Amino acid sequence: MATDTEVDLTPRLKTDEMLINMGPQHPATHGVLRLILTLDGEIVRHTEPILGHLHRAQEWQGQNRTWFQYQALIDRVDYLSGMFTSWAMARAAEVVDGCEVPERAEYLRVMVSEMNRITSHLLWLGTYLIDLGAMFGFPFYPFREREKLLELFEEIAGQRMMFNYIRIGGVMRNPKDAWLSKLKKFTEEFPDRVDEYEAIVTENPIFLKRTKGVGILRKELGMDYGITGPSIRASGVNIDLRRTKPYSVYPKLKFDVPVNDRDGDTFDRYIFRIREMRQSNEIIKQCLDMLPQGEISGKKQIAGLRVKAGEGFAAVESPRGTLGCYIISNGSDRAYRIKWRNPSFCNLSILPELLKNHPIADVMAIFGSIDVILPDVDR
Amino acid sequence: MAEGNVQGPSEVPDELKDTVTLTTLEKMIEAMGDLLSPVVSPIANAARSNSVWPLTFGTSCCAIEMMSVGMSKFDISRFGSEVFRATPRQADMIITAGTITRKMAPALITLYEQLPEPKYVIAMGACTVTGGMFNDSYSVVQGVDRIIPVDIYLPGCPPRPEGILDALLKLQQKIRTESYAERKKKKYRQNAVRYVDYDTGRPLEDLVDEARYETALALDPLKSLQESK
Amino acid sequence: MSETPAAKPPEEPKGPGLCGQFLKDHGIATTRLPDSCGVETIEIDGAHLEAAMKLLRGSSEIKLDYLVAVSGVDSADTFDSVYQLWSYSNNNELIIKVRVKKTDVVEGQLPLVPSLSRFWSAANWHERETYDLVGIRYYGHPYLRRILNVWDWDGHPLRRDYKQLVDALNDKAPGSFR
Repeated sequence: MATDTEVDLTPRLKTDEMLINMGPQHPATHGVLRLILTLDGEIVRHTEPILGHLHRAQEWQGQNRTWFQYQALIDRVDYLSGMFTSWAMARAAEVVDGCEVPERAEYLRVMVSEMNRITSHLLWLGTYLIDLGAMFGFPFYPFREREKLLELFEEIAGQRMMFNYIRIGGVMRNPKDAWLSKLKKFTEEFPDRVDEYEAIVTENPIFLKRTKGVGILRKELGMDYGITGPSIRASGVNIDLRRTKPYSVYPKLKFDVPVNDRDGDTFDRYIFRIREMRQSNEIIKQCLDMLPQGEISGKKQIAGLRVKAGEGFAAVESPRGTLGCYIISNGSDRAYRIKWRNPSFCNLSILPELLKNHPIADVMAIFGSIDVILPDVDR
Repeated sequence: MAEGNVQGPSEVPDELKDTVTLTTLEKMIEAMGDLLSPVVSPIANAARSNSVWPLTFGTSCCAIEMMSVGMSKFDISRFGSEVFRATPRQADMIITAGTITRKMAPALITLYEQLPEPKYVIAMGACTVTGGMFNDSYSVVQGVDRIIPVDIYLPGCPPRPEGILDALLKLQQKIRTESYAERKKKKYRQNAVRYVDYDTGRPLEDLVDEARYETALALDPLKSLQESK
Repeated sequence: MSETPAAKPPEEPKGPGLCGQFLKDHGIATTRLPDSCGVETIEIDGAHLEAAMKLLRGSSEIKLDYLVAVSGVDSADTFDSVYQLWSYSNNNELIIKVRVKKTDVVEGQLPLVPSLSRFWSAANWHERETYDLVGIRYYGHPYLRRILNVWDWDGHPLRRDYKQLVDALNDKAPGSFR
């Protein structure tokens, strides 16, 4: 006769897996991503992301537009950090062309792109909190600072989001002294504002429960998938192109790249972005002090802009990771082939691994934390 | 209103019956008929125009400006539209914020058809007005009015938040000046202009034509060949 | 537009670079191409691609463990599959090209290149994208399906001979812009 311990306790009920479609129209997917989730009860077993709902043929446009026209288009590749997409292509074209960039232009580039990094992270912070359920309340705070920066952008580039400011060979306009002093004022008050966000979020028990220990990204797995940016630095891989493959005037600036000492979870990815914002603010301050006088463009900005024949790859460290551009030029006024290496595209490919064996309620917490922008994925 | 007045496409089709909800106020106006409509309609319209709830539909860059307009600096709630609804059943209008591609078009059509009547569309941004900067891309629908009817066109790449507010005010003006009875008489289309296939990204009518032609060819090769000549 | 990249002035033949020499020591033959902006560029036969990648990734001195991008190029007489390799830990860089001659491609079929995605997850989506846009079939890929375009899309848009589909969604009135 069987004792209690020998009784077979395996459940007799047969469970079936369930398919759930999420998107492409979903308020929390930051655009138009479609996920097909296979659920076992509440647990996600398998995820299939379906991309391309925003495929606008950017690479095809690159072959069919002149360099001068295409410069205006590429801000749309990653609309939250348009400065970086412009910069990636400008760098690649400069590497192929071999043209010199004046030092003042380099400082201005660093300045505006670090400003852009702050706006991008601010928007991420606001929307991420919405994803976690902080409906309409908290996002007002980051958007307040974001609007201030957008006003500065508008003053220098003429547009709030699609700047077309960094051009092949330099930058487009010289800032006025009033603009520089406005920016200086902003950098002085910004750390206090970050303190404000942290006071609301970082030790908030609900936020901690939603994020701590959720979506742990192992270092080796991240390297296997080619993850870059704050997401992999939060998992302990030291790759920040500003330091590991220095470009522009970054070697002259003083800043540290924070790297985690363990496999990062969703909370770590949050805290590393907050640190990056403070760090960017410091970089802008240094640039304001060191900004030299001089020319701002080493190449004439005319409609018949040409790039010498050749091929080359150049990358910049965007808010989401390594943003690269591979150019093959044949010396005409159009590119022969332009290939974008988008950080969001590569970072998103790890989503099925991260979501595995997490409850469906965590899907948005994890997806938001890798900070994906859909046009950057789909191009 | 007598049933005789309402004919043809303005009748809600059977397959869309569950998606169309008329408010009690509208039913009241309908019952009172043409006589009282000029009196009640302006009141109803004024009420409706000040609470146009948009759907959170954003595909790309314009969606960020749509977010900005909801935030404290521009504050769309001054005009009664701060309630962004995540489901089309609770919304009154779509702001098509961002490029619509061939892959996204079927989803937009479904969303549009799920909106309860009366429904409005603001085509926001150059991409959805004419195709904009991507006006020769192989994968972009060149203007959202090729798939759904549009009320307000809002150009810009992306339009400034003030532009969105302006478009909203124009839409409110449009809602205020129209009479519901008139709108019904105009045989306003319930459904999309044309449908797009999700798997091939082509208009459904083209696929149907192709299939018809192929069937005819299979049934009677000689005759179809002669016809095509 | 459709003309090919202008031929570069002939450079003096160089010996194999760091990675080329490393591969040669392990018995894999490579051809050195002109450096692309200072980065070593080698051409390799498709059959040896997987072995070479495993060597480059695993060795302690080269350690090219970061696959940045896989791009497809429709060149004049070849289809190129271009691999950008970086390292997470040191400053090595390498560009590998696998070239399939257009004359070798069977009429009506796609050029074949071996897939890396079985041992390198980063290659998975890049290869799907290249298949979608340029039309290079990566054999051995676990799920080679279109990723950006719709599933039943006709043609590969980044090919030079691609003709755009014109229908009611994108036709233009004659004389309009463009």
